[in-house]
Amino acid sequence: MTPAAVLAATPMSTGEMWVFIPLGILALVGALGMVAARNAVHSALFLVLTMLCLGVFYIVQSGPFLGVAQIIVYTGAIMMLFLFVLMLVGRDASDSLIETLRGQRVAAILLGVGFAGLVCVGLGRALAGTTAKGLAEANSAHGGNVQGLASLLFTRYVFAFEVTSALLITAAVGAMLLAHIERRKGERPTQPEQMRARFAPGNYPAPKAGPGVYATSDSVATAGLLPDGTLAARSIPEILPPRELTSSETAPKGTDR
Amino acid sequence: MNDLKLPAIDYAALAPMLILFGVACLGVLVEAAVPRARRGLVQVPLGLLGLVAALVFVIAEAGTRKRTAGEAIAIDGPALFLQGAIIVLGVVALLLIAERSLEPGGPFVAQPARPVGSEADRSQAAGEGGATEAYPLVMFALAGMLLFVAANDLLTMFVALEVFSLPLYLLCALARRRRLLSQEAALKYFLLGAYASAFFLFGIALIYGYAGAITFSRIHQAVTAGTGSGVLLFAGLALLAIGLLFKAAAAPFHVWTPDVYQGAPTPITSLMAACTKTAAFGALLRVLYVGFPGATWDFRPIIGVIAILTMLVGAVLAVTQTDMKRLLAYSSIANAGYLLVGVLAMTPEGVSSTLFYLVAYGFTVIAAFAVVTLVRDADGEATHLSRWAGLGRRSPLFAGVFTFLLLAFAGIPLTSGFTSKFAVFGAAFGGGQVWLVVAGVVTSMLLAFPYLRVVVMMWLSEPGESTPSVSVPGAFTSAALVIGVLVTLLLGVLPGPLLDLTTRAGDFVR
Repeated sequence: MTPAAVLAATPMSTGEMWVFIPLGILALVGALGMVAARNAVHSALFLVLTMLCLGVFYIVQSGPFLGVAQIIVYTGAIMMLFLFVLMLVGRDASDSLIETLRGQRVAAILLGVGFAGLVCVGLGRALAGTTAKGLAEANSAHGGNVQGLASLLFTRYVFAFEVTSALLITAAVGAMLLAHIERRKGERPTQPEQMRARFAPGNYPAPKAGPGVYATSDSVATAGLLPDGTLAARSIPEILPPRELTSSETAPKGTDR
Repeated sequence: MNDLKLPAIDYAALAPMLILFGVACLGVLVEAAVPRARRGLVQVPLGLLGLVAALVFVIAEAGTRKRTAGEAIAIDGPALFLQGAIIVLGVVALLLIAERSLEPGGPFVAQPARPVGSEADRSQAAGEGGATEAYPLVMFALAGMLLFVAANDLLTMFVALEVFSLPLYLLCALARRRRLLSQEAALKYFLLGAYASAFFLFGIALIYGYAGAITFSRIHQAVTAGTGSGVLLFAGLALLAIGLLFKAAAAPFHVWTPDVYQGAPTPITSLMAACTKTAAFGALLRVLYVGFPGATWDFRPIIGVIAILTMLVGAVLAVTQTDMKRLLAYSSIANAGYLLVGVLAMTPEGVSSTLFYLVAYGFTVIAAFAVVTLVRDADGEATHLSRWAGLGRRSPLFAGVFTFLLLAFAGIPLTSGFTSKFAVFGAAFGGGQVWLVVAGVVTSMLLAFPYLRVVVMMWLSEPGESTPSVSVPGAFTSAALVIGVLVTLLLGVLPGPLLDLTTRAGDFVR
């Protein structure tokens, strides 16, 4: 049975259907785009798209609190923090897509599609005769959606709810452990030490001359000339050896015209 | 909103978990307040005291059979027995974790955030005190395991699964030597573990769709009534089982095991091999015996095939290993298969024999990893099998101890390995599962080969230039080793008392 048939089998108001179909497609596009995008920032933005669509779904299915929490907390706060971190770390670091196992990607896609098909067909068959119960009863039992959630959290699942704090502590300790380097006294040079090192004999305290400043060309490979006419190796990047340039290299390139 | 009342909570019955969570939080505070040099001195007694206090409460509650905290927690025979087992095994593993005399600074790296191979990293490898954050993490993991075996609904079980998994992922990354291997192990374990958790969660959703509830008693009612769609039930149960069998390291969900066991610091490997396995099988027992006994005829063939596959994969691949830790990892996979044989008996004897097997195997495997931490050279542990050749000539005592442990793994009489295998096979036979018993006996014989090969290599080869020395163990490792070996011997010679205890502890509440 196709998903469309499942949709047809369950009662769904016209409005709900018109919200679900475009947003469902958008959510899928976001999920696929998140996996396929090479740039980490694009991935994160695709994920934001999917999460926003999910938030709308929750609201449509009469779970307004969950939907708003999804949008404010996950999309608004967590994903934005995630983006900040990506921007700080450097957004041009993209994954290398070299396969270490031959054919792994093809096999993974085939298995993934197969599993998705299995789940869709299975759920389609399983839910064909089921009528949706909806949240109306659960929402009215305690005087509202939020109250209903609260009564579950603080009665039946109170222990699980409290135990999740252990998860948060573990996560915080783990982040400190794996990402924070504690520097003790003496590991980082102090400002007076840096100044002394700067003016110590053998070090050149002034800024370095740029390449080509005292030379006849504007190439970065042209070393500056010292007063005695020798090449100043310090004025060009370390990876370029100081050398005499050919006349064609030193000739003006005509870029000023 | 004045009808919201906190459900009755039996704090004495929850005390073991509450104590361990409290000790873990205290441990985090110790990290913040105590100077670095003295943290280990505070953390180790704190952890041991907490575990002993938790054990006292478990023993005091031994007769309790009830559900508490809004039916989310079931304190019954198997839960209390498994909690006690996890605590005792945790104490022994904590002794290995606390050992500092084998290697200057202990088994953990001082600052895991330092890039591998940097100058700071080389200087910290030389003997800077290891990260003491490991102790609170171990406590969180043990507390999560106690909750995992006592959870009476799938949501609490899922939260417990995450609570004990997350610290283990972190602990795997903290090895002092071969840090890249250790970090790779942690990342693999984390990614695959997150994947398995997702399966578990999906399974919960489908079971909720089937039964309309996630407490085991309501699921049992729904399964017995047989209303609702069978597809939802079987798909949900299959996905739940994937999540649990991943933690139990059963094939084909075992692929992480060798890499993680090899990369993690050896004391953490012993913790995972003993305690995580106990917790995973405790939860599997509860799911199958309390939630889904009505579907026994449906899941037994499938999980039976998984059990046989697990035994075969563990036994066959153990033969080809060249690294001691990987060998023990494959042996641990095979043992998961034998445990599944006991679980699938689906009789009270099945429960009690599985409980017995978990305790017996836990002590033996911790002692085996304790010996692995002792065989070392200048670069740390010498785990390659060729390095163990001729060890019997060089230090007969430790080679003798290790031989005894390997014989216990192989299931030779007079060791706990024999009695526990006998118990699970007997239970499976009683439950009418002859095919599983036959497969178990055949793979046991197959699995004896790699163990005996190591024994032959240790005793009949000449020690070479590269044969490492066996370090003199410190007080903690000696204690762990002695406890492990004594229990292995005791349960082989005199299994009666523990068998009685497991028989009395076999009753679930629903």
